[in-house]
Amino acid sequence: MEKHEARKGMKRRMLLACGAVLLVMQPMLGSVARADDYPNKTMNYIVAFGVGGGSDIIARTMVKVIDEKKLIPVKMLVENRPGGSGAIGYSFINSQKGDPYYLGGVGVSFFTTPLLGKMPLSYRDFTPLAAIARSPYILAVTADSDIKSIDDIKKATGLTIGTAGAVSDPALLSHLLNKETGATIKVVPYDGEGEVMAAVLGKHLDLLFGNPNEILEQVNAGAMRALAVTSAERMTSLPDVPSFSELGYDIVHTQLRGIIMPKDVPAEAVSYWEGILKTVAESPEWRTQYVDRFNEIPIFLDSKAFEAEIAATSARYETLMRELGLIK
Amino acid sequence: MFDSWYLLADGLVAASQPNVLAAIMVGAIIGLFIGALPGLGPTAGVAILLPVAVSFDGTSAIAALGAVYYGAQYGGAVTAILLGIPGDASATMTVIDGHKLARNGKAGAALGLSIAASFIGGLIGLLLLTAFATTIARAAIAFGPIEMTALMIFSLSLVSVLGGKDLNKAMMSLFLGLFIGTIGLDPMIGLPRFDFGEVRLFDGIEFSIIAVGLFGLAEMYATPPSIGKPEEASRFRFRELFPDVRATLQCWRELGSGSLIGFFIGILPGAGATAATMIAYAFAKRTSKHPERFGHGALEGVAAPEAANNSAAYGNMIPMFALGIPGSGTTAVLMGGLLMIGLQPGPMLFQTQSAFVWTIFGSFYIGNLALVAITIVLTPILATCAFVRPSFLFPGVIAIIAFGIFGINNSMFEVMLVIGFGILGYLMMKLDYPPVPLVLGMILGPILERGIRRTLVASDGDLSVFFKSPIALVILLITLVLVVSPWLVSQRAKRQADVANTIAK
Repeated sequence: MEKHEARKGMKRRMLLACGAVLLVMQPMLGSVARADDYPNKTMNYIVAFGVGGGSDIIARTMVKVIDEKKLIPVKMLVENRPGGSGAIGYSFINSQKGDPYYLGGVGVSFFTTPLLGKMPLSYRDFTPLAAIARSPYILAVTADSDIKSIDDIKKATGLTIGTAGAVSDPALLSHLLNKETGATIKVVPYDGEGEVMAAVLGKHLDLLFGNPNEILEQVNAGAMRALAVTSAERMTSLPDVPSFSELGYDIVHTQLRGIIMPKDVPAEAVSYWEGILKTVAESPEWRTQYVDRFNEIPIFLDSKAFEAEIAATSARYETLMRELGLIK
Repeated sequence: MFDSWYLLADGLVAASQPNVLAAIMVGAIIGLFIGALPGLGPTAGVAILLPVAVSFDGTSAIAALGAVYYGAQYGGAVTAILLGIPGDASATMTVIDGHKLARNGKAGAALGLSIAASFIGGLIGLLLLTAFATTIARAAIAFGPIEMTALMIFSLSLVSVLGGKDLNKAMMSLFLGLFIGTIGLDPMIGLPRFDFGEVRLFDGIEFSIIAVGLFGLAEMYATPPSIGKPEEASRFRFRELFPDVRATLQCWRELGSGSLIGFFIGILPGAGATAATMIAYAFAKRTSKHPERFGHGALEGVAAPEAANNSAAYGNMIPMFALGIPGSGTTAVLMGGLLMIGLQPGPMLFQTQSAFVWTIFGSFYIGNLALVAITIVLTPILATCAFVRPSFLFPGVIAIIAFGIFGINNSMFEVMLVIGFGILGYLMMKLDYPPVPLVLGMILGPILERGIRRTLVASDGDLSVFFKSPIALVILLITLVLVVSPWLVSQRAKRQADVANTIAK
């Protein structure tokens, strides 16, 4: 009996403890600012993924450049809200409707998670500000592979390609590659870029679409060979590697490094940030600390051009996911 | 190879600079506490410190982040032993025997052993890292999906020794774990599975939530108030608060096997330290002369997993330093750190940044020594925890659990999940279902699933490829021998008994 009582007491205490925690963790509500003295309080950059990943690195580098150049009169904080394949972070940004003190970055899940229909949002529920870099993908094989060109891929049979994630840029590109070349490469999803690279180097896979950053290191070390790049033009860091489009294949897809805000923010805020981001994109600090370090392509797209690219990218994902049977 | 040791000597000198030493100490202490905090493990620890660390100079930053990683491996055991709550995922196996030891008044001995195991595991891992990093990295990538599948089948066959008395209940627990492991986005197709329309389940359920709920909360729910009352505690002797050197030396075999298993599983991309501790524990039990003592406070049951998880931490770093491949969540964040300080991880890192790499390795040795010193001093103080009455101790611990779990993803939903898993664990305890098979299923199941499905996609559904890889074939044959031999032995014993009976007649 005594035992039973104690257990009941325990549970009651548990509930009380949880209630207390709940109270403390009430989310703070942002307020809407007037346009004339914008920005007049701390800016929040929400990263929908964990610390140390690609989305996080770009956010922190951008904030660092803005700080160093003292581009805005207020502080800017980076906050990670991971979970639900980006859904948690993007839903949070969306919930700050009309508040121009919240920013976020665009990643693959920005498109794919809404398309899966599990997040009642889409790219239309955000305000595009600008894009400040572009990252192509490189199709590569190990240095001792028999595959030396795209033509060799068409001739070979039983090839495999690894992708980081079932629905991702490399997956999209792999299916495009099959469609455009008529090859029948089997697409094998892995959990991350590192695992794919390990499997290719260990000869468990033949091909991969990788970031310039990871592929160039392997190419320079003599471990891998680049076959083609997915940007419209050749990359300056790989002058001998053709682009797919110059080889006559309609494969042009790059990852845009762009910044968004919640829906319905004042037009002044959009033009304010377009200006700031243009200064960032054209600054030598951004070039050395981000673009050159990660071997990306320097660009600046204003909100209109960025919006158009977002729509095109989303359409590309929608087609892929339909073909894969992920959405009806 | 001898070059390595000269380079390491230079690295040790460089890592002894005051700024690097300070960074190591800061990292080690933060790691220790984050490891001890239920829910938060090394990945969260490295991630929390990353934005701060990159403002130090490059070497100090990575030395501090590395120290958080291996410091957390020391810290995880503390909560596991004293409170029965895994401080981080890879300390889950330490709970089984470690907490029993603490309850029997041997908290000091168990903690001391875990420190020794952490140090020895760490040292063996470090020595292997120093001597063979590049060579081992090349060997590790020979493990593809086929080999991984074989290894997981082998692991599951080993863990069958961990099920407890009732095989049916153990199997049900295992399958529940396998089921929980399937929750989230399908790794091969990308569609959500068993998400119940809940977007917060897309990334699956964090393992620490299950481990903390199933072991920690369940234990507290079920503790009757009489346990740990002062009159009962008074029979514990003061001496037992201190580490026991003799007991540590007795476990030399488990320390050795645990370290080696941990290191080799740690190297494999995608396998992880938690899987390593499970295999090390199962191996220790399987090869022990007294397997019946495991689960009831066997010192060997603390030595094997603790040596394994520390050693795995260094194994894990090999693909990152030697090939530029992050093999786990923690090394992925650590690699983010390398990129942020302006270093390019990749196969050239050893050549282009030789001084940096060896300074970092040197800092690992110093950090391990520092952690032993810190934890040995803390042991008697921490061990007195075992004397605190549950009615005083538990509310605070539950608050810390809520805080730790909330800290992983800033999610209240996950705090609710951990309470739910606590209730599940309580029910399982009362109905005599062992929780260990569940966590095994949840850790090993997803690796096995990915291995099989990746293989079959690449082979067009042809199962024979599993027998064409020499590595996989050897592993599968060993598994077969392990599964069949006890049965053959028992058959032979039976036949001999029959013969003896006939003769007697």
